[in-house]
Amino acid sequence: MEVNPNYTLAFEELQEIVSEIEKGEITVDELSEKVKRAALLIKICKEKLTTTEEDVNKILKELEAGEE
Amino acid sequence: MPETIDNKNVFSLQEVALSIQSTLAARYGSSFWVKAEMNKLNYYPKSGHCYPDLVEKSEGKVVTLMRANLWKDDFAAINNNFLQVLKEPLKDGIKIMFLARINFDPVHGLALRILDIDPSYTLGDLEKEKQETIKRLHDEGVFGKNKTCIMPLLPQRIAIISVETSKGLADFREVIDKNPWRYCFFYMLFPSLLQGEKAVEGMLAQLNNIRKVISHFDLVAIIRGGGGDVGLSCYNDYALTREIALFPIPVVTGIGHSTNETVAEMVAFTNPITPTKLAEFLIQRFHNVSVPVNKAQETIVDKSRRLIREEKNTFQAQVKLFRSVSRNILVENKGNIEELTGKIVQQSKFLMRNQKEQLSLLTTDIKNKGMFVLHEASQRVNRQALMMKKDAVAMLGKFKLQVAQHVLQLKRVSKFRFSLGSEKIIYAQVRLSERSQLLLKSRSLELYNLEKNVSNLDPKNVLKRGFSVTLANGKSVRTTAQLKEGQQIKTIVYDGEILSDVKSIKKT
Repeated sequence: MEVNPNYTLAFEELQEIVSEIEKGEITVDELSEKVKRAALLIKICKEKLTTTEEDVNKILKELEAGEE
Repeated sequence: MPETIDNKNVFSLQEVALSIQSTLAARYGSSFWVKAEMNKLNYYPKSGHCYPDLVEKSEGKVVTLMRANLWKDDFAAINNNFLQVLKEPLKDGIKIMFLARINFDPVHGLALRILDIDPSYTLGDLEKEKQETIKRLHDEGVFGKNKTCIMPLLPQRIAIISVETSKGLADFREVIDKNPWRYCFFYMLFPSLLQGEKAVEGMLAQLNNIRKVISHFDLVAIIRGGGGDVGLSCYNDYALTREIALFPIPVVTGIGHSTNETVAEMVAFTNPITPTKLAEFLIQRFHNVSVPVNKAQETIVDKSRRLIREEKNTFQAQVKLFRSVSRNILVENKGNIEELTGKIVQQSKFLMRNQKEQLSLLTTDIKNKGMFVLHEASQRVNRQALMMKKDAVAMLGKFKLQVAQHVLQLKRVSKFRFSLGSEKIIYAQVRLSERSQLLLKSRSLELYNLEKNVSNLDPKNVLKRGFSVTLANGKSVRTTAQLKEGQQIKTIVYDGEILSDVKSIKKT
């Protein structure tokens, strides 16, 4: 389990936690950890939906470098 | 008319040209249908005329090349017809079947004048080309390749092949940029012509560029719009469609409606058809993540609360149960303890009493038995003492008797021995005196004989008979060897001594 998974892994893990909790497979002992984890995963997914790190200038520079 | 110069008929250039012109006009009076490939349209926008290069190829080589004329009005009519039938304008590199007339112009030379072009011939040819492209891609096994790419969960980074001014691009941006869910996309335009002859080349070049920075992108979107249905035959081009099919990330097309789906659209990952639909397709992918995430949040909150509530209830019930059960156990155990305490006290009292009785019983018993043993022992001792006394007296008597007997015997024996001894002594006295007188007589005879011998042997008696003894140095001289001449010697005789010196020595 990665500490900061990419959103695909985050999404999958989140689905897993939801499925576990829906099936009642989570005990009270685990609950706190799982909810904490889920909150992080939800944050990662939501952040990904509304942000991006790509930069046109960087890509253009790479393209120019590739053409030389 | 020809002039005669130096006996030769000489024609003017114009005369020759006009002659050719009239000959051709006479020979090729009517128009006829010709099929050829239009290598170049050579359209001059200023005049509106076209001067197409027509070729015929055999095994890839040009075997015939002719120039043609397509006048402004004819071109307009034909082009309209093409656009209607083919959805394509007249352009370079298509096969055409055209109505022509041979035309010779003194200035411009020989040319085929194109009067009409049958669009259905070209259409068939284009369709044939399209089918060939599809077949080749299938044969090479690449037709469905792009569809097997994995579209990321969030197709967020888009390389757009389009034109800055395209209406389609504007539509796409409208949807993407203004989405009310604030989904964030990153897109970058790789500009290229999207229709007509230069489109294939341009799009291939941009796909090549995108390949160089492919790590930054999740998909390629080819976006075109607002251009109507014309000029789409480039999307059937073999090289372009092959590149799309083989592209390492999904290629999505939104190139607008056409009556027939182009090969590019067929091989693309997906074909939402219009730029708007393409944008909505991407938004939908975001929804596919966003909705479950939101739902997950709700579910987790809801289920967690319920779980905690349930656990709390269970816990409280357990506490209640525990309290009641433990109280019962306490009471029960207290009763048991009290009961047992009573029993222990009673039992120990009983035991004490019992032991005490037994103890006193044993004490008496020990006293009685001790006395008895003591009495018996003293009796035994007395008895033995008595027996010992009797024995001693008996033994003493016996001894006395024995001693007396011994004394009597001793007396008797000594008396007898004494008488025997005195007889022997008397006998011995007699014998002793007899023997002694005998012995005395024999000894005195012997002594007389001996006395006579001894006086014979005395030196004085010898000397008296005339013998002497000579001494030298105190020793008797027996040989001449004992003496030296001049030595003093002493000679002993019966009545004294004579001293003399040795005059000479003579051995006998």
